[in-house]
Amino acid sequence: MAQSQSTATGARDVVEPSGDDTEFVFFSGKGGVGKSTVSCATATWLADNDYETLLVTTDPAPNLSDIFGQTIGHEVTAIDGVDNLSAIEIDPDTAAEEYRQDTIEPMRELLGEEEIQTVEEQLNSPCVEEIAAFDNFVDFMDSPEYDVVVFDTAPTGHTIRLMELPSDWNAELEKGGSTCIGPAASMEDKKQDYECAIDTLQDDGRTSFAFVGKPEDSSIDEIERSASDLGELGIESQLLILNGYLPESVCDDPFFEGKRADEQAVIERAREEFDADATATYPLQPGEIAGLDLLADVGGVLYDGAEATVDVGTATDVDADGAVDFDSMADPDAVVDQLTPGDETQYLFFTGKGGVGKSTVASTAATKLAEAGHETLVVTTDPAAHLEDIFGEPVGHEPTPVGQENLDAARIDQEKALAEYREQVLDHVTEMYEDKEDTQIDVDAAIANVEEELESPCAEEMAALEKFVSYFHEDGYDVVVFDTAPTGHTLRLLELPSDWKGFMDLGSLTKGAAPAKGDQYDEVIETMKDPERSTFAFVMYPEYTPMMEAYRAAADLEDQVGIDTSLVVANYLLPEEYGDNAFFANRRAQQAQYLEEIRDRFNAPLMLAPLRRDEPIGLDELSAFGEEITGLANIAEVDVPGVTPS
Amino acid sequence: MTELILYEEAMCCSTGVCGPDPDDELVEVSAALDQLEDAFDDLEVNRANMQHNIDQFLETQRIYDRVQEDGPSILPITVVDDKIVAEGEYLSYDELTAAIEESPTPQEA
Repeated sequence: MAQSQSTATGARDVVEPSGDDTEFVFFSGKGGVGKSTVSCATATWLADNDYETLLVTTDPAPNLSDIFGQTIGHEVTAIDGVDNLSAIEIDPDTAAEEYRQDTIEPMRELLGEEEIQTVEEQLNSPCVEEIAAFDNFVDFMDSPEYDVVVFDTAPTGHTIRLMELPSDWNAELEKGGSTCIGPAASMEDKKQDYECAIDTLQDDGRTSFAFVGKPEDSSIDEIERSASDLGELGIESQLLILNGYLPESVCDDPFFEGKRADEQAVIERAREEFDADATATYPLQPGEIAGLDLLADVGGVLYDGAEATVDVGTATDVDADGAVDFDSMADPDAVVDQLTPGDETQYLFFTGKGGVGKSTVASTAATKLAEAGHETLVVTTDPAAHLEDIFGEPVGHEPTPVGQENLDAARIDQEKALAEYREQVLDHVTEMYEDKEDTQIDVDAAIANVEEELESPCAEEMAALEKFVSYFHEDGYDVVVFDTAPTGHTLRLLELPSDWKGFMDLGSLTKGAAPAKGDQYDEVIETMKDPERSTFAFVMYPEYTPMMEAYRAAADLEDQVGIDTSLVVANYLLPEEYGDNAFFANRRAQQAQYLEEIRDRFNAPLMLAPLRRDEPIGLDELSAFGEEITGLANIAEVDVPGVTPS
Repeated sequence: MTELILYEEAMCCSTGVCGPDPDDELVEVSAALDQLEDAFDDLEVNRANMQHNIDQFLETQRIYDRVQEDGPSILPITVVDDKIVAEGEYLSYDELTAAIEESPTPQEA
């Protein structure tokens, strides 16, 4: 194909080093799109072209060992069988913990155990994790012994903005340091390194930013958002790689032919719309991409314009011969038990990364619960979710009916939530000054000050939290279904109440804070922790990275908030009635293998949801989709004698 | 020049507007300090909290000793031109004004 020939050359221009200084290639994209594969293939290709190459991964669940077939770990390790290539796996959790300990160490002299613990809790913030993660980039951006360093992850616009702050800090700190970022003093030392790193990131002669995504609209939309965020900081996205499209040769029925046509349309749209120097694609393989031969195939396609080899014989070691029976792994009764409300309101949380089909599954579950006669509210706290598209009805900040009896929907409107929170804080401050006799203080200036402080990410987070908590207090529902925001953000939202409660218990930090709020958050956390009243369902699809990401998020939820996962939704299972060939037999066997692993890891009932030709839209399609998901067809009707939900 | 230093407990955010509810005391003191800077031409205001500016606690012997002896509950400590003017509580705008005016360095209000 002439087209792939020319795009491949474009991709090559982007990643190939052109000067004497070390160059950097960053791959950005969410989990499960094949970012590690593309990074490994790129690094291998560069090494094969005689560039001294280092591959750095900061994935918390790295799979470089599987891809290269050798143990790598925290030390720079030479890759067997590839000259000029070394790799290192950095554990971001360890990095964050080291950072925290470095910060706390000097305080031990002056503070008691209790205070240290409070500070430790404060440092347990996403901000600190971002700083620690950025430190990892900075450390490797001074690597003169390499021609090129490939990172399988990239700083986000948010991180870079955070790290740019040091230049403004002196001014900020004199005023009293309103940085919720962390220990300014220790960052001061690194100011120069940070500035230098950011200069390099912004230098498109030395640094290439590449996005990896799937040929899906949601994937492209997300990439466009991230790219424009980086663009505002003077960082251009030079390369877009769309990975995992269905190869033409294996699509021999209308279901997959249609899927393929959709993907090709998305690829076409991305080529037209996305402002990158180059676009490249790589097909789905029957198995997982591992081993040097397949990596060389990926590199050849992306950078040399070669044709992809899709060979069922190269599939990894799954047994594709045996018929795969997904249903035998599901237990509808156990699922129904988790979904059905008892005497009190039941809270169902569907959580997971973006792109796993969370909103659709949550909306489908809500529809089926409403059909069974339960008063149901479905709420999305994900700003990127589009419940109105799913229901085909307008959905606003406050619960509104969406056409199905017993069913309302709502979504958090960030801006409205923030406005509400601002108003509340300013009212409080105004009231406080009204009670004061200290007449010398300029009340207007003081309020203006507070207003300015409310322009912070902290305020946004607090505002979202406030709204989240308020949905807990909506009266009149038997079930409230939360379609939560992407996992990391969700966790933060969920964690915050207990963090704040922790601060309040320790007392010293939030002097004078009204205890009423603390109690309210406490109640919410208690409700979420009560398995009788709350059900946490992790949505994922049965592949390595999505499974590991969900597993880590679930473990965090348990460690930090004490919440157990009680359901797992395995989405996008390949239907049996389509894809009757060796390629899909392999894919199906691979899914079955991960389903088993998911079942073992999570130890929670599985809700199985099939891949659909099109995502369900509107109540009829949602209802029909519900019939195909484990348990949703079996929810007992309310008021049917003899069937009492227990 | 008069220097006012406020040594405070470990906290992530000294503005008071960071959390489920605004912290009245911190909101007030932040506003008071801002206003003092406007009111006095030659006043330098510094805030040091133990989380962000631990170095200032470790390097200032007098403060170090006070926190060692009495624990962090001795904070906040307000220092005007090297003189400790308050411990264990935040001063109001009026009290701060008085402390600055009493300091040996001549001040123009």
